Amino acid sequence: MPKRIRSKIARGSAELAILTLLDGPPLYGFEIARRIEEKTGGALRFTLASLYPMLYDLEKRGLVKARWEANHAGRDRRYYALTAAGKKQLAPLRREWRFFFQALDRLAGVSHA
Amino acid sequence: MPDWNRLVRERLSGLELSPAQRDAIVAELASHLEDRYEELCAQGIGESEAIARSLQEGADWPRLARQIERAKRKEETMNNRIKSLWLPGCVSLTAAMGLLMLLQRTGFQPRLVWVGSMPLMLYVPWLVALPLCGAAGAYLSRRAGGPWLARVVAGLFPAIVILGLAVLALSSSVVVEPNVFILRHPLHLLFGLFNWIVLPAAALLLGAMPFLTAPKLRAT
Repeated sequence: MPKRIRSKIARGSAELAILTLLDGPPLYGFEIARRIEEKTGGALRFTLASLYPMLYDLEKRGLVKARWEANHAGRDRRYYALTAAGKKQLAPLRREWRFFFQALDRLAGVSHA
Repeated sequence: MPDWNRLVRERLSGLELSPAQRDAIVAELASHLEDRYEELCAQGIGESEAIARSLQEGADWPRLARQIERAKRKEETMNNRIKSLWLPGCVSLTAAMGLLMLLQRTGFQPRLVWVGSMPLMLYVPWLVALPLCGAAGAYLSRRAGGPWLARVVAGLFPAIVILGLAVLALSSSVVVEPNVFILRHPLHLLFGLFNWIVLPAAALLLGAMPFLTAPKLRAT
């Protein structure tokens, strides 16, 4: 698969993972990385280098907003939450990915036949 | 416990952002590494190994700095546009419109100047003060690092807004509810535009002109 397509798929799936996770209570960066890893059984793993440029990009595009807040242990964390625009973006993004995986599934079915 | 702020700051030393933005990013990434470090220590990994593995999260730090810069810079470009165009423009507009309203509220009568059968309605004190409004807009734009065009637009902002409103009113008078007088007397319309747009724009531009040149570099 060409590198550009591969990176687009990786980026798109990472975006979907972050936006889906933030469609709930606000989370800070480390929590986002850990929850994604847990929920995908380790299939998706974010490091500091892959997570924060993406979070800042989503923030710049107005899909997430962030604010500093002290957590239960009194440590300052930057919590991310989905904006109204982010919620709006999530539904079509989910549809696109569902369509993409269904298409791949059909293709795999054909190739196995 | 390592000083994560210092470790991250050293690795992101090439980050070309404002000090406030850099501090916030360093604090956030340091907090992430601290969490990772504690997680590794809880798994029974030794301190030096845990520090090394935590720092590996940054992978290629100079590349990470460039990616963060790219994400944040566009945000700054947007902020710069607000600072160098919209805010100075709003200051110029508020000053110009505030002054005109003040004159009208105090019952000041405009001076009517007849050019043939066409009247020009001149609020002379307003026209005299407009260069100051234009100067304020262009000066604030230049101070915020606005390019030449932004300085011109910020200075002329009140005239641009009046032009926009006139176009809106005219299209409504012609299309929505045809105004027979305007349609039959286009010369009156031209006089009106000259009166409320061209003359104020000239006065605003006069004030803005000293600030349209690039700021002089100071010798250090």
